[in-house]
Amino acid sequence: MGELAVLALVGGLLAMDGTAVGQFMVSRPLVAGTLTGWMLGAPELGFLIGTILEIYLLVEFPVGGARFPEGSTATVIAVASAADPGTAGALALGLATGLVFGQVGGVSVTAMRMLNARVVPVPRAPEGSLAPGAIVRAHLAGIVLDFARGAGITLVGVVAGRFAVARLAPAWPLHLPDTRSLLLLGGVVSLGILVRSFGGLRRRLGLLGAGAGAGLLLGWLL
Amino acid sequence: MTPPTRVPRGALVATFLRSFSIQGSWNYHTLVGNGFAFALLPVLKAIARGDDRELERGLCRHAELFNAHPYLSAVALGATARLEADGEDPEVIRRFKAAIRGPLGALGDALVWAAWLPVTLLLALVFAFLGAAPWVSVLLFLVLYNIGHVGLRFWGFRAGLAAGKDVGLRLRAAHLGPAADRIARWGAVLLGALAGVLVSGERGFGAPLWLWGPLAVGAFVAGLAGGQRAWRPAAFSVVAAVGFITLSRMMP
Repeated sequence: MGELAVLALVGGLLAMDGTAVGQFMVSRPLVAGTLTGWMLGAPELGFLIGTILEIYLLVEFPVGGARFPEGSTATVIAVASAADPGTAGALALGLATGLVFGQVGGVSVTAMRMLNARVVPVPRAPEGSLAPGAIVRAHLAGIVLDFARGAGITLVGVVAGRFAVARLAPAWPLHLPDTRSLLLLGGVVSLGILVRSFGGLRRRLGLLGAGAGAGLLLGWLL
Repeated sequence: MTPPTRVPRGALVATFLRSFSIQGSWNYHTLVGNGFAFALLPVLKAIARGDDRELERGLCRHAELFNAHPYLSAVALGATARLEADGEDPEVIRRFKAAIRGPLGALGDALVWAAWLPVTLLLALVFAFLGAAPWVSVLLFLVLYNIGHVGLRFWGFRAGLAAGKDVGLRLRAAHLGPAADRIARWGAVLLGALAGVLVSGERGFGAPLWLWGPLAVGAFVAGLAGGQRAWRPAAFSVVAAVGFITLSRMMP
């Protein structure tokens, strides 16, 4: 119970970093996964899940009012679900649970912003007036709500993920390398999407090719 | 115009620090308008010098709809603080904010979200899949990214404060657009490198490569052709595959 509370606390704090406060990017899956794994005594698994989810979410940025999957809660849920057994099946089911709850997190951000719209004072006339207290209260309420949202989703997600892993992971037939390859496939789609952000295949083909050559060589050597 | 006011350093520091939470009350009515007023409050308080009515009028002006990239909103905050301190006409300030929010949003999206963030992440991921220790990859990303992040906020706030409504000239002189393009070039190299490491490294796609290699190329092409629309189907396909594989083994 205490561990669940700590995980919810971490999920809430990381969710705040996503947009509301800081944006130092400790909420990115790479960081959140490693941190959660370290907390639960499984740093390597946390790092592995963090890196895989990071590839998925390389193309999902908090741009303006866009709805985006929430990487921080997704990662905490995935690592916390998989950490205890630490098997290939736990990795697959934990990460799948994380992906689903990432979408839930995205929907909840939209709902929270609708709720914020009811709380913030809206100037009715250009020459009107607003009390400082109203501005500060609305702002702090938005931040607290974001924390509570992240914590709540993390809590529900971890309970659901651990239940799924306990029931289903023993039936998972693939070994770790195949499991990792299967999970990476979805992430590689994001790499294709990212080419567009960097200027498109036609403009960047030479640079991509040079990088791929260097990557192939380094991967083979190391 | 009212006479210029000297804003205490403490109020400017408080406004800069508050800018880190400018999106705290993001909403569909005023977007970051409430956060903008919250961040500017220390400066407005210093300018109002105990005149509550003046302070409340100022807050009302700045709680109006506003949106920009969160990091570059520091530019708008600095410039607005300068204009308020100079006693500029409120209508001029309102028009200035309306004019600058679009460019600050577009520039920030191109520079930070589409270039700096993915490039620093890709670098950390290349290290990770080459076998670097977790803390090396994580620290490499956090330190490198936040040097750019905090540096951009700090530079933007100072530039806004120094230039006021002429801050557009400072932004043009900083060549942030071409910088985004240069960073994106490095992004293309690192993206290629990550793809290569995933194929040839032992932490990426495992054997048999005749199976995973073509599937990975297909996934890459799907992303390339489908763009952002391909993301959700890809993620749900993986979730469905995990569910199908598990449940098919549990069936009698």
